[in-house]
Amino acid sequence: MSDVQVGTGLPPLTVTLRRADLVRYAGASGDFNPIHYSDRAAAALGLPGVLAHGMLTMALAARVVTDWAGDPARVIEYGVRFTKPVVVPDDDTGTDLQVSAKVVAVDNDNGTAEVDITAEAAGQKVLGRARAVVRL
Amino acid sequence: MPIDESMVGRSYPAPEPYQVGREKIREFAEAIGDDNPAYRGDDAIAPPTFAFMLGSRALESLLGDPELGLRLDRIVHGAQKFSYTRPIKAGDAIDAVSTITTVRKAAGVDVIMYDTVLTAGGEQVAVCTSTISHAGETA
Repeated sequence: MSDVQVGTGLPPLTVTLRRADLVRYAGASGDFNPIHYSDRAAAALGLPGVLAHGMLTMALAARVVTDWAGDPARVIEYGVRFTKPVVVPDDDTGTDLQVSAKVVAVDNDNGTAEVDITAEAAGQKVLGRARAVVRL
Repeated sequence: MPIDESMVGRSYPAPEPYQVGREKIREFAEAIGDDNPAYRGDDAIAPPTFAFMLGSRALESLLGDPELGLRLDRIVHGAQKFSYTRPIKAGDAIDAVSTITTVRKAAGVDVIMYDTVLTAGGEQVAVCTSTISHAGETA
């Protein structure tokens, strides 16, 4: 990763999220908030639909960085703001999450790069200030 | 009791260490559709966001503090950040302590920030910084 420069784009990733993926993440993470699987619970809170766990969206967005870095241990910092919910309908199509990223800073003294991540669903950015620091 | 700045500094330790197992790491990696070989086997490390789960027992204590009076169905997770000293690995026994760092009002909601420090054998592994907003009774 010696040729990393500001502006370097990372290979993008598209992940299709279906209701079953949310149920699987609920089980794996232990976050059983019903707004992530029940239309009834989501509607009772006035939500536009069943939502993907923010932490699932965050995990999926990180894959662009860890895939690029190869060794996930190189990711030493990662932060996001959850700006828009990702609505996942109960159908076979699901919702596509599109993730892209680029290098915005390189620190040669510390041997690190900062990566800005963009995650979109249904044409809207769903994460803000999504940034990772990667050891080169 | 209203949520206010006097809550800053309150700490909530998880009741017991979290024993990180290789199969839990694999299960989590599969749930995020990630086939990275680093997440498999005896020497598996955990994906970056796995750390959030290790803080969840400390978070449960925070949410259960009757003096805070937080309700899960009024909470929105606004932001999350992780800073790692080293990756979390299969075989780690991770202690977690969440500490409230900021409480402020914004547009009718209480915005609460807390840091969850993860340690193994007293050595720091990661710090998870969370921002949640909590809507009041009238919101």
